[in-house]
Amino acid sequence: MSLSGFSKVGRKIVAVGRNYADHAKELGNALPSKPLLFMKPTSSYITAGQSIEIPLGCSELHHEIELGAIINNECKAISEAQAMNFVGGYCLALDMTARDFQDEAKKKGHPWAMAKMFDTSLPVSDVIPLEKIPDPANVQLWCKVNEEMRQNGCTADMIFSLPYLISYISHYFTLQKGDLILTGTPAGVGPVKAGDVITGGIPDVIDISFNVTQRS
Amino acid sequence: PTKPLLFMKPSSCYITAGQNIEIPLGCTDMHHEIELGAIISKDCKRITENEAMNFVGGYCLALDMTARDFQNEAKGKGNPWTFAKMFDTSLPVSEFIPKDKIPDPGNVALWCKVNDELRQNGHTKDMIFSLPYLIAHISQYFTLQEGDLILTGTPSGVGQVKSGDIITGGIPDVTEISFKVEQRT
Repeated sequence: MSLSGFSKVGRKIVAVGRNYADHAKELGNALPSKPLLFMKPTSSYITAGQSIEIPLGCSELHHEIELGAIINNECKAISEAQAMNFVGGYCLALDMTARDFQDEAKKKGHPWAMAKMFDTSLPVSDVIPLEKIPDPANVQLWCKVNEEMRQNGCTADMIFSLPYLISYISHYFTLQKGDLILTGTPAGVGPVKAGDVITGGIPDVIDISFNVTQRS
Repeated sequence: PTKPLLFMKPSSCYITAGQNIEIPLGCTDMHHEIELGAIISKDCKRITENEAMNFVGGYCLALDMTARDFQNEAKGKGNPWTFAKMFDTSLPVSEFIPKDKIPDPGNVALWCKVNDELRQNGHTKDMIFSLPYLIAHISQYFTLQEGDLILTGTPSGVGQVKSGDIITGGIPDVTEISFKVEQRT
């Protein structure tokens, strides 16, 4: 079942925050006892050749490299044991985040919409076939800005595993074919400026590259 | 507020006539919020307030069902409102209301009852930010697409519903909705 058009077919993206202990610590956040979930709309997707645009009024845009899992069939209230049957492929993604908007939202108890959902905030790779990632809990992922290494982690450090996350999410939010699960980011997140080039990769699997531009 | 406070609901939360609202797992304080919705007719990005109504194709009456306990917890911790606002069945909607049935979205009465007892009774003229302003503002950050829905806020009188309750709502002479509440099993 081809999921190559997942960014056009899917209806939503469900993301987990603070899923790597070292990333939670670097932002001064407590470790979660249950998954911290947020969503991104499909209008935030961009693919190779398109540029990331700093949203209006944002003065601190951050990169966050993440492994994504693509759902291949509708699932609701499924068990952890069944969860991997509903993954049809993977992608490498950047959960671009307006950190200043997020800090403001956290202080005021406001939604994270402005921080996480803006246009171009979800650059993604092509779909990665299942066989290229036999074990989603053993995936190296790196992120550079202008060739300088910023993030270099492994999904082995995820607090909540992918099957656990899919099962948990599906008990509150029915998942549909083409939906994307973003599994969290390792330590090393940081700001990018207009003109920067963000690259990322899973060694021997995939590379991505996206330019950051000022919004015109 | 000095600027609109925006949040989103995913399309997986929609229910229509005949389907039931389900109290999400662990929620002990679910609230009704009756709202006028505007449906986007074509893609719009960075449009002006003057152009905004050209991008509205019709309306609906909606309930922005909210897990108030989850929302209070999220606000206290600075967490996203995901569990409070985005759960399955949290967006009961009416049928499509053609544009000509609501000539002025700034002049719409809307009411909400629970078990026939009036809870909300408001008017869109009391909206702080008008619909054209909202659409223009939203489109600066989030490209809107055909079929997308803008929920324009709820008047006072929000309150709790329990399993077994029946929520009704309406825009006089335009539309009515009715949805049953049940516990999610």
